[in-house]
Amino acid sequence: MKRLVTWMTLSALALGCGDGSSSSQQVELAFAAMVGAEPFVCGQEYSDLGADGASLVLSDFRFYVQEVELKNSAGTWVPLVLDENKFQSGNVALLDFCGDIGTEEMNERAVGTVPAGQYDGLRFKMGVPFEINHANHSTAPSPLNLTSLFWNWQGGYKFLRIDSGQFSANDWRMHLGSTGCEGDAQAGGVTSCANSNRVEVEWDTFDADANTVVADYAALVDGATLGDDQAADVGCMAKPTDTDCGPLFQNLGLPFGGQPGGTQSFFSAE
Amino acid sequence: MKRLSHTLILLPLLLGAGCGDSDTASASGAWVWDLSDVVPPPRVPEDNPMSEAKVELGRFLFYDTKLSENQTQSCGSCHQQKLAFTDGLAQAKGSTGQEHPRSSMSVANAGYAASLTWANPAVVQLERQALVPMFGTDPVELGMEGLEDELLRRLRDDERYPEMFAEAFPKEPDPISLDSITKAIAAFQRALTSFNSRYDRWNEEGDETALTASERRGMTLFFGGDTAQGATDALECFHCHGGFLFSQAVDHDGNEFNQQTFFNNGLYNLDADGSYPKGNEGLFDITDDPADKGKFKPPSLRNIAVTAPYMHDGSIATLEEVVEHYARGGRLLESGDGKDNPNKSNFLRGFKINAQEKEDLIAFLRALTDNELLTNPAFSDPFAE
Repeated sequence: MKRLVTWMTLSALALGCGDGSSSSQQVELAFAAMVGAEPFVCGQEYSDLGADGASLVLSDFRFYVQEVELKNSAGTWVPLVLDENKFQSGNVALLDFCGDIGTEEMNERAVGTVPAGQYDGLRFKMGVPFEINHANHSTAPSPLNLTSLFWNWQGGYKFLRIDSGQFSANDWRMHLGSTGCEGDAQAGGVTSCANSNRVEVEWDTFDADANTVVADYAALVDGATLGDDQAADVGCMAKPTDTDCGPLFQNLGLPFGGQPGGTQSFFSAE
Repeated sequence: MKRLSHTLILLPLLLGAGCGDSDTASASGAWVWDLSDVVPPPRVPEDNPMSEAKVELGRFLFYDTKLSENQTQSCGSCHQQKLAFTDGLAQAKGSTGQEHPRSSMSVANAGYAASLTWANPAVVQLERQALVPMFGTDPVELGMEGLEDELLRRLRDDERYPEMFAEAFPKEPDPISLDSITKAIAAFQRALTSFNSRYDRWNEEGDETALTASERRGMTLFFGGDTAQGATDALECFHCHGGFLFSQAVDHDGNEFNQQTFFNNGLYNLDADGSYPKGNEGLFDITDDPADKGKFKPPSLRNIAVTAPYMHDGSIATLEEVVEHYARGGRLLESGDGKDNPNKSNFLRGFKINAQEKEDLIAFLRALTDNELLTNPAFSDPFAE
């Protein structure tokens, strides 16, 4: 169960120059999905969820994270430079706890390098940076080329996608991305979004060697009514007008319906 | 190193696959719009130049049911040529039978839209818009979400497409891609221009015989002329439906401004905020600003006679009823009087119109039909017998 692999590489190899900073170290950041106290397993039924104690079977549980940074001993936030692989591109990584729709493999880690040193804090955002979010998805590299995470009505990506069922009337879904976006035909795409909807997470104390980033579905839907859909969309499609979204946005620390954002409770360090 | 050897292997293949042919094709295959002096060409993204081969590929893709998961629908299912690329339904139906909250818009002249679909300021390019019906889930239209690999496999296995894609995208080492699909469909839509109505013959060619006396009277009313009652510009039509597109929400090659516009035309008024039926409130669904409730893009009125029923939800059946709606200045329903909607455009003041004027106005609207568009083989379904 040793997740963190640390080794030294010569800067000549890593950076192609001998500038004196002697080494970097690899970091493997572990993520886990939970439903309350139980580990999340795709396709398993969970009960007593939300305000109405609903039971759900989830078929999709994915989110993007961007700008993962570790805090060094000087108190400075240092970017985790992500490896390029099918789950990671640029400063974006996709975490996937179902592997069902769109991708077959699951991914429960973000892997990259930082300069050698001691790190004791973690911060990241759940989301995709604006420039990447609104670029041409059809030419994007993996994991930004998955049509099941396209959020085309806002010209972006779904930052978070959690679905129950397989598109039947009784499904419940949570899709989150930037909303209130505006574009310009001259610019050829989206130029701004009123609601970024990127969830910011920052922990002053986090040991990547020992700790795991936990995404808790029960915490996400705490206070939400799952059995009785009030708005036109199934579940919460993050539309500002979707009245089912209120509690979920609150749990994500995001402003919604005139309410200011607060502290998120979806992610915790364990 | 790996990439280099890959290229070296590919190079002879490309040469062998007929580079000579595609060179000839591009020399003679540059796309030229057949437009008059009063109509500018559409804006073309730098990374998607037009070509005959691309437009033709786009036509095949537009009409191909391989683009839906269950292979029952294509873009052309909801955008039928004989109905000026609409479907005659009040609300569209997707490939799984799910009903769309909105009515299918005409895609004729879609290359001139300042924003696409009924009320979405974020969707401004045809390439990006194409992804919505293909992969969207709320509602499901073509139902291809998560099936991009299956889609590419279907096209690669087709006997026709590998060559067509190679001709349309001669510089792409792997021409069958999601990007190429959206680019070809967008190119076909930019080619789908429609400016050959009798009104255009009158307007562009000065052909006085192109419009009847009744149609000319209707045109005068449309563009701000006096009614029999002596009111000037009582109808106010052209403020929202003016210009070469008969819509102010226009973009084109030389346009320097963002001309997106959205208006509330008093169809509903469910409460003090001027609400429309939930989940179908136009710009409000994007912005969450109550002042945007019921605001939709003014669609082009070109070919309007063949695109019934009308409005974003198809809730008005005929042109006669549309004129009556505007004459009243909003629609009276049991649920509320749209005339009093707080967000209603102030161009909807209502007007008095006599039977002859109504007939003239509708006659003019009917003269905006481009019959060539409805039958042009270059825009037709290549899979139809």
